[in-house]
Amino acid sequence: PCRAQPKKKKKVDVKKEQAQKERMKKRLKKLEKAAPELIPIEDFITPLKYSESNRVRSLPALSPEESERRVLLLKKWCLFKQKQDEAEKKAIKAVVESQQEALKELHLESEELYEAAIRRDEGLFPFERDGPTHTPPLPGYDPPEGKCIDITKVYTQ
Amino acid sequence: DALLGCHRSYRSRPTHGIGKFKYLLPNEAPKKRKEKVQMKEISAGTEYQYGDVNIQMTSYDLCLVEHFAQYVHRLCNRLSIRVNESYAMPTKTNEVLFLEERGSKMQLDAVLTTHQRVVQVRGLSSTFAPILLEIIQSNQPEGVHLLVKQHTEDDFKSRLKSRPELEELLAQMS
Repeated sequence: PCRAQPKKKKKVDVKKEQAQKERMKKRLKKLEKAAPELIPIEDFITPLKYSESNRVRSLPALSPEESERRVLLLKKWCLFKQKQDEAEKKAIKAVVESQQEALKELHLESEELYEAAIRRDEGLFPFERDGPTHTPPLPGYDPPEGKCIDITKVYTQ
Repeated sequence: DALLGCHRSYRSRPTHGIGKFKYLLPNEAPKKRKEKVQMKEISAGTEYQYGDVNIQMTSYDLCLVEHFAQYVHRLCNRLSIRVNESYAMPTKTNEVLFLEERGSKMQLDAVLTTHQRVVQVRGLSSTFAPILLEIIQSNQPEGVHLLVKQHTEDDFKSRLKSRPELEELLAQMS
């Protein structure tokens, strides 16, 4: 519908909208300037109750035979662990060497297969595996009904 | 003492600035007050090498997970595999409630914390990757869940704090 005097609101509206947009852009620029922060990890912050207490543990005095037994046991354990570690390193070396030999033989056999074997396997990742459990799962176990609520603290910048 | 403490600069003499040595030292970058957390470039890797690979270990037991992460890190050092970063993901806390046998009330059972450690590795050769996986698997402690995947931008962004104001403004603008 035409009017005798046109509305004056239009220009003012446009100006207001422009001013609003500029304000929003300024706010955006300010927020974008601030660098994103990493979420603080609760594992690395010791709770205060462990640093405030003055409790001191008093250990009983060890007899010389006991301390010698412990030292000898420690030495035996060190030797055992060293043998275990060396066996592991040897096994790794043996595996790598046998792999290299197999690749050499394959290379002599056919070029195409060698090339295909050297390429990376796309189906390898993602790889997921649960750790071994202490006991195998019980056959007829009926777990009680319940639910899990996630109560992790959400940090916002 | 008075002779050594004298700092008169004989600018007309050819021996001007004879004791200067700071120009010989390497340039130290000026100390930045805040080191901005920027995403490092994610390498895609060539046909014979994988790019950035994340080895994520999750468990309810903190000590086990930390020790296992240390073991994996040292193993990679020993096998001369380049380790980009070794960081911890934020811990998740879960409240476990179970339904009582008689009654409809939910009984609080336990509060469990899930810890996750990540070892980021670059330049794994395609022949050695399955061997490394086997070694890690054979040494996996009980209760520790292993996940090996490629590094993506989303993985990095999940470590950062959420910014609801920025997202609101962006939604308003578009």
